[in-house]
Amino acid sequence: MQSLFAQLVVLQSSLVLIFGLVLLWRRRVPAYVNAFTWQSIVLAGVAATVGWFGGERELYLIACLLFVVKGMAIPRLLGRMERRFTSESELAPYVNTATSLLIAGVLVLFGYAVMRPVVAASELPTRAGMPLAMGLVLVSLFVVVSRKKALTQVVGFLMLENGIALLAILGTYGIPLIVELGVFLDALMGFLVMQIFVYRIHETFDTMDVDQLDRLRH
Amino acid sequence: MTAVLVQLAQLALALTLAPGLVGTLRWLKARLQNRRGAPAWQPYFELRKLFGKEVVVSENASWIFRAAPFVVFAAAVAVAALLPWLAVPTPLDAVGDLLVVVYLLLLGTFFLALAGLDPGSAFGGMGSSREMTISALAEPTVALAIFALALGAGSTNLGQIVARTMTNPGAALSPGHLLAFAALFVVMLAETGRLPIDNPATHLELTMIHEAMVLEYSGRYLALIEWASALKLLVFFALLGNLFVPWGVAVALTPGALALAVASLLVKLAVLAVAVAVLETRVAKLRLFRVPELLSASFVLALLAVTSSFLAR
Repeated sequence: MQSLFAQLVVLQSSLVLIFGLVLLWRRRVPAYVNAFTWQSIVLAGVAATVGWFGGERELYLIACLLFVVKGMAIPRLLGRMERRFTSESELAPYVNTATSLLIAGVLVLFGYAVMRPVVAASELPTRAGMPLAMGLVLVSLFVVVSRKKALTQVVGFLMLENGIALLAILGTYGIPLIVELGVFLDALMGFLVMQIFVYRIHETFDTMDVDQLDRLRH
Repeated sequence: MTAVLVQLAQLALALTLAPGLVGTLRWLKARLQNRRGAPAWQPYFELRKLFGKEVVVSENASWIFRAAPFVVFAAAVAVAALLPWLAVPTPLDAVGDLLVVVYLLLLGTFFLALAGLDPGSAFGGMGSSREMTISALAEPTVALAIFALALGAGSTNLGQIVARTMTNPGAALSPGHLLAFAALFVVMLAETGRLPIDNPATHLELTMIHEAMVLEYSGRYLALIEWASALKLLVFFALLGNLFVPWGVAVALTPGALALAVASLLVKLAVLAVAVAVLETRVAKLRLFRVPELLSASFVLALLAVTSSFLAR
């Protein structure tokens, strides 16, 4: 039973990480949104699995929230934003695809190195997934700094949030519900603020390319 | 004695099955594209026809051009002899492990590229240079994916990896295994010239890779090369099927177990063939300059596979 639990959690965590890596290989915004949607759904699955095997009722609620907010609501909003700026969907990152994939590989290795003492000290059956969550955090940070379009940076930020949520679920079987709800609200608010920002950027500069932001208004 | 017989039977099975697999793939693709398609046994007729045809060789070609088909075919047969098709352990387990298999396959690729360059035709040189670019990128991925498997089993011996996975079914679902499977699948597409990387259905297209290299060949030489590349596809399918999902492979040499092994092998090959046919129908060919990106993605997958089987043990 324990080993099945550990297997399932590691499997799902690696799926979550792989959906993060998909960003580096795909180029179009709809593909980004798709990857994020699937990642959130798998993350909800992780929460449900940990809730089932770890006997934490609250995690079911978290799983439902994850599914509804990040698996359905935010992707829909992202899709709407994307449709509004269709001419902008071709992406040109600062780092080319092959290099960024290799950098991501190194970042995941670094995540393993960083989490090694934590994993060694932990007794939880979920410990094997924690380095993967750390890897996702690092990879999504890299996505945020290496993409040019504001919309893809937003997706990177949302994935970063997913990584932190995964780390919390795996490391502590979920933080107290009230904190979790606060984090959710924060993420949603942050997303809405960013959405407004993206609209404003687009209105003022006629582009979402953040490289153009150092120009004065024309 | 029985073991040797089984070994020979395995090899004969692989050799006869290879053209049929290619034919089945073509037939499946034709059905998926709403065409009637040639029957699955069409490649056998093609091979017979080619073996009966006259050989035409360019007058600029050297001995390499004549020797290459035999080297390519011999390398493919040697690899087929090393694989655990039906039963483990095989008597040839002591001769070669996974690394030998991979480098024998590469030896065939290398000689094919040489043969493409040899007659000095423009297409051949272009195909060879592309093939070498792709194999140079696919090579590290294969090695890494295999190390991920070998780390899990504690041995690079094919028979032992199969036996180890069978005794420990959980390992087949471990992330190391799954990631290595994904990485090897992408590499398989690249190495056997399947669709997102190379189009196996055309003979005259500026972007062709494998077909460009063998454009100068005719008659029995072409037959040998076609057979060898069919065998290579079968070998990759068998690697993916038997190493990652080993159930069905016979552990004892009884008639019942062997019959089950043949049936399970056919089922695995059919599943993989359907997967490849659906994939080839759905995706378009990648631009040559995006191929390195795909291959580096599979390299990262293999790297993660090794990391997770090494660190998460």
